[in-house]
Amino acid sequence: MQKLETKNLHLHYGDFHALKGINMTFEPNTVTALIGPSGCGKSTYLRLFNRMNDLIPNVKIKGEVLLDGKDIYKKSAGMRIDELRKKVGMVFQKPNPFPKSIFENVAYGLRVNGIDHSGFVEERVETSLKQAALWDEVKDKLKKSAFELSGGQQQRLCIARALAIEPSIILMDEPASALDPISTAKIEDLIYELKTKYTIIIVTHNMQQAGRVSDKTAFFYLGELVEFDTTPVIFTNPTHSQTQDYITGRFG
Amino acid sequence: MTHLDTELKRLKDEILEMFNLVSSQLEKGKEALFNFDKSLAREVNFNEKRVNALELKIDKDCENIFALFNPVAIDLRFVLAVLKINSNLERIGDIADGIARYVAETETIFDAKLLQVTELEKMYSMAIEMMKDAQVAFDHENTKLARGVFKKDDILDDINGKANSVLAEFIQQHPDKTMQALHIVSTIRKLERTGDQAKNIVEEIIFYIEAKVLKHLSTAAKQE
Repeated sequence: MQKLETKNLHLHYGDFHALKGINMTFEPNTVTALIGPSGCGKSTYLRLFNRMNDLIPNVKIKGEVLLDGKDIYKKSAGMRIDELRKKVGMVFQKPNPFPKSIFENVAYGLRVNGIDHSGFVEERVETSLKQAALWDEVKDKLKKSAFELSGGQQQRLCIARALAIEPSIILMDEPASALDPISTAKIEDLIYELKTKYTIIIVTHNMQQAGRVSDKTAFFYLGELVEFDTTPVIFTNPTHSQTQDYITGRFG
Repeated sequence: MTHLDTELKRLKDEILEMFNLVSSQLEKGKEALFNFDKSLAREVNFNEKRVNALELKIDKDCENIFALFNPVAIDLRFVLAVLKINSNLERIGDIADGIARYVAETETIFDAKLLQVTELEKMYSMAIEMMKDAQVAFDHENTKLARGVFKKDDILDDINGKANSVLAEFIQQHPDKTMQALHIVSTIRKLERTGDQAKNIVEEIIFYIEAKVLKHLSTAAKQE
């Protein structure tokens, strides 16, 4: 079964038709990159998967969004938002740690879910920080404020925070665009490592990044999915001229 | 190991496999020639398809690495070098295939005197040795070993240079073996080109490791 799937998905912001009949499937343990010029709908599409568009006024969603075969927007499928967000973690463009200690940032998701057993929480925090390739850098200062970390470390902390609740899907919205090249390389290597355990969808404006980290790439333009294929095909021999013009920097 | 390192390692393993395959083709071609083993010669002809398939695979992988990883500096030189070495190796594969084809098509066993006066065995062994040196130099990033290949090519050129007069004399003495002699002279020409391809390969190895371009320099300058 596909991990995640959308069928004939339409999204309107009021009169604006932001996503036009998107059909896509996401295999488990793969990285999919969503690329396209600003306003093409790729971030809107990403945010569907943890229902972050619900709070925007006048949003209308039609079609199906299936997680492990269940429609996450259908009440009858019985998926509550808090349950959904345990399965779908998200990392944003700018690191957004909470004004708490490094430890408590990672433990936060567990605590709000009522998990307080100290041994369990400590173990999960350590595992998550290790998976996020941050443990060695912070293990001696877990009680210090998260704001003392560098931007790149803060972003890896946010990834650790997302991992702590053991989601199966991680959504990343330009996770390295505010970082320097070294921190970016660390995040990219991390994405490559994490796909052995998670299904990852990443929005990026950086075409080279899409090439380096993803197995499949989807090109969006004006709310439509123009092309979706394996990343080597998209970057060496795309089918559509619009995709070629975009990845070669000729428009967009 | 970064994702790019993993891809470069995979590419290195593939080109070493190509080295092994082409060296094996050359060695089997030699054995077929000197033992007049037509069955082995046909095996070489059959395996040529594998050489071609591996060449295409390596070309495609290089293309993907350029497109997906935008390699720079030593990584860029490595992928450029692999792309060209791959092409050189495929040409050597063609040469081994061509030599084996002569064996498969020749009716009578090659005259022992003919093989001896042309120094073919010495030439063939040296061509194989140059290939081996190039492979080890590439695998261990050993540019000293790579530079030694230029000198060894002199032996191939020397034997090739003498071939016309030696063979003319042989044909005059054995006009009934003219066809054989023509096959042998073609083999000598092919081995001479193998030496040139091996030199091209080590030029690429030195380019990748030291960022020096040795193309079109004199042999003496290349060895410095």
